[in-house]
Amino acid sequence: MDALVAGAEAFIQVFRTAADVFVGFTTGIIPIVVVFLTAVNATVNFIGKDRVEGFAKWASQEGWVYMPVRYTLLPFVAVFMLTNPVCYTFGTFLPEKHKPAFYDAAVSFVHPITGIFPHANGGELFVWLGIAAGVEIVAPDTVTALAVRYLLAGLVVILIRGITTDIIYGIMSARKENAE
Amino acid sequence: MQALIEKIGRSVGGVVGTLFQAGRDAVDLCLKTIIPFMAFVTFVIGLILETGVGDAIANGIKGFSSSLGGLMIVCIICAIPLLSPLLGPGAVIAQIVGVLIGTEIGRGNIDPSMALPALFAINPQVGCDFVPVGLALGEAEPKTVEVGVPAVLTSRMITGPISVVVGYLFALGL
Repeated sequence: MDALVAGAEAFIQVFRTAADVFVGFTTGIIPIVVVFLTAVNATVNFIGKDRVEGFAKWASQEGWVYMPVRYTLLPFVAVFMLTNPVCYTFGTFLPEKHKPAFYDAAVSFVHPITGIFPHANGGELFVWLGIAAGVEIVAPDTVTALAVRYLLAGLVVILIRGITTDIIYGIMSARKENAE
Repeated sequence: MQALIEKIGRSVGGVVGTLFQAGRDAVDLCLKTIIPFMAFVTFVIGLILETGVGDAIANGIKGFSSSLGGLMIVCIICAIPLLSPLLGPGAVIAQIVGVLIGTEIGRGNIDPSMALPALFAINPQVGCDFVPVGLALGEAEPKTVEVGVPAVLTSRMITGPISVVVGYLFALGL
């Protein structure tokens, strides 16, 4: 009998703990996300589609000089303004041969951005939040610094990804054309 | 005068309307995607914390997540072009592993300085499932998609480990 009670106790304890964590997340995360989402959604609407598209046209130009713009600034603006998955439509403005590299850069940024701008990818917050929740317990004062660094490191990574994919795509498509 | 009043009324109405719609979209996203995922994630956390599962996972993860070399191995495995499209969808795998590692950081089993490199190590497969769709959204030609998919997947083999190193460097001095 005692074993049964102990078993039931252990069983229900899983859900009690889960519920405590859930309450913690609900009060800690949801309010700020809702308010933030509202503000950013409104800002995006006020800035307007035309202006964003004008910027995208400027930023998607060809040439080595535009690489840092094309693979850091453009993905940042795309993900920030249009959010995942609409952000990839900015590929429209790019020359055909740069589209895979832009996609690679943009898609690699949809998680690093969530540390500070959760609206950009609300459905996949827990890549960041999962780890941040742990850091919050051990070193609460470093979480914001970590979020900033995640964002900056993300920008460096997407630049590297954009350039690498550009080169690989160049090699592969040249090889394919030779074969044909 | 009347025109002015009308103009003010209209623009204020527009602003309020936009703000209200923004709020509605925000709450919508919360209810339909964030909270459901949160429920799922908190259940996993409860399971990890209260059952022995946590310790077993901890031992497995600890070996990989407490050193740069271990994270590299995780990253290279996730970036294998045959696996990466399977691990990609919805970032579910990355989110679960993120929660697992986060929980272990919270319990003191993994040093918080590994958090940033870990964020990149568990995620070299991001979007690998979505390349054809993503390129189609950018109105790429079929020919571009044909070469673009293997190009992105191959590129991840190289940039995955690099991203872990970048994360490690950015975490220095935190």
